Amino acid sequence: MATEARDRIAARERVEARRRQVEAPSTVRDDSDDEMIVSFPEFVFKEFIATVAMTVFLIIVSIWLQAPLLGKANPGMTPNPSKAPWYFLGLQELLSRFPPLMAGVAFPTFVIVLMILVPFLDRNPSRRPSERKVAIILFALYTTVVVALVIIGTFFRGHEFVWDWGWVLGNPQTCGGKPC
Amino acid sequence: MSVIRAAIDEMFSVVGQMVGSVFRHGLPLTDKIAARTALTNFVLHIHPVRVRRSWIRMSYTLCLGGLSFFLFIVLTVTGLYLMFYYVPSTQHAYQDMRDLQFVVTFGGLIRNMHRWAAHAMVITVWLHMARVFLTGAYKKPREFNWGVGTLLLLLTLLLSFTGYLLPWDQLSIWAVTVGTNMAKYAPIAGPYTRYLLIGGRVVGDNALLRFYVLHVVGLPLAAFLLMVVHFWRVRKDGFSGGL
Ligand code: HEM
Repeated sequence: MATEARDRIAARERVEARRRQVEAPSTVRDDSDDEMIVSFPEFVFKEFIATVAMTVFLIIVSIWLQAPLLGKANPGMTPNPSKAPWYFLGLQELLSRFPPLMAGVAFPTFVIVLMILVPFLDRNPSRRPSERKVAIILFALYTTVVVALVIIGTFFRGHEFVWDWGWVLGNPQTCGGKPC
Repeated sequence: MSVIRAAIDEMFSVVGQMVGSVFRHGLPLTDKIAARTALTNFVLHIHPVRVRRSWIRMSYTLCLGGLSFFLFIVLTVTGLYLMFYYVPSTQHAYQDMRDLQFVVTFGGLIRNMHRWAAHAMVITVWLHMARVFLTGAYKKPREFNWGVGTLLLLLTLLLSFTGYLLPWDQLSIWAVTVGTNMAKYAPIAGPYTRYLLIGGRVVGDNALLRFYVLHVVGLPLAAFLLMVVHFWRVRKDGFSGGL
C-alpha cells in the first residue's frame, strides 16, 4: 500500500489544487479545508442504504400495483384516443397543436442540440444559485412547460385527442367508460 | 486425541485462509485498513479512496446518479428473468406475458418490478439532470460529461419506448404506432426512417423483432458503454461537490 497509496493521494491533491484554481471563486463555499475521509465504509454504507430503500420501494409498489396488460394487440381496432407513453405525451401534445414537421422533428432536434450546447452557451462562470438567476429561471420555465404538457396529455385529452374535462369533473367518458 | 485436535486446527486455518482470500483486509476498523480495502476491491474501485466530507453529503447529489445506475442494474436482472419466458413474435408474445403474469413463479412480481423500475429510471435520470443543472455542475471542466449525460437520457427514453411494444397488447401496439408516426414527418428521410424502424408500413412481426433486439441488446449495450465513460469522467474531471 505504502508507495502506491501515497502516490495516489499526492496525485489526488494535485487534481484538487487544479480544481480549486479552476472553480474556487465560483463555488459557494471553499471546501478545501473540509476533512478528507476514506470513502469506505461511510460513503459506501450510504449508497447501500439508498439501494436497499429503492429495492424495498420497488417491491412494495410491484406487489400493490399491477402493470397494465390490455387485450391482445389488434391492428384492426384503433383505440380512441391513441396515446404515446407518458414521457412522449408532451411531444404528442405539441403535434396536436403545431404542424408536424415543426412539432415532431424540428422542435425535439432543437431541444436535444440546445441541451448538449448548454455548457457552452452559459458563459457565466459562477455556480452560486444567487448569481445564476437567469439560468435557473429559464430551467424552471422549461421544466414547467414539459410537466404541464405531460399532465395535459395524460389527463385532459380524450376522444380524438380533444380537450376533455371528464377526469377532473369526475365523469371520464373518454375511453369507452374507462379512464384513459 | 492430539491427532483429532490437529485436524480441527487445520480445518479452522483452511477456512480462515478461504475467508481471507475473499476479504483480504479484515474489518475496516482503522482508516489505513479501510483505504487499503477501497484501493484493492473491485466493486469499490469506482469510488475515490479519499473524499471530502462535503462531497458525499446526500443533500448534494440526492443519490440520483447512483440510483439511476442502480435502477439500470435492477432492470437488467429482472429483464433477464423475463427473457427466459418471452418469445418476440406476434404469435407468442401476448400469451407469454399472460403466462408470466398468472403462471410463472414470481413472474407477475418480476414483470411489475421491471415496468415500475423503467418508469422510475426515466424520473431519476431527469431529476439527476435537474440537480446537475441547478448546481451548475456542467460548467468547465465537465461540459463533455453533460453531453454524455444527454445521450444517456435519450437512451433511457428509447429503452423505455422499445420495451413498451413487447407485451403486444392494445396499449403497446397503438402507443408505438403513434410514436413511430412522429418519425414520418421528418423531411425526405422521415418515411424511410419509420420503415427502417418498424420493418414495414404497419407495426407487425418485423417491428416486434426489431424493437426486441434493440431493447435487449443494442440499446442496453450502448447505455452501458456510455455509463462507463460517464463514470470515468466523473472521476477524472473531479466531482463538483461543495456547493
Ligand atoms: C442513465 C443515466 C445516468 C446515470 C446512470 C448517471 C450517473 C451519474 C453518477 C453516478 C454521477 C455521480 C454523481 C451523482 O450521483 O450525482 C453522475 C454525475 C454527473 N452526471 Fe450523470 N448519469 C446519468 C445521466 C445524466 C444526464 C441526463 C446528465 C445531464 C444531461 C448527466 C450529467 C452529469 C454530470 C455533468 C455529472 C458530474 C456532476 C458533478 O460533478 O457534480 N448525467 N452521473
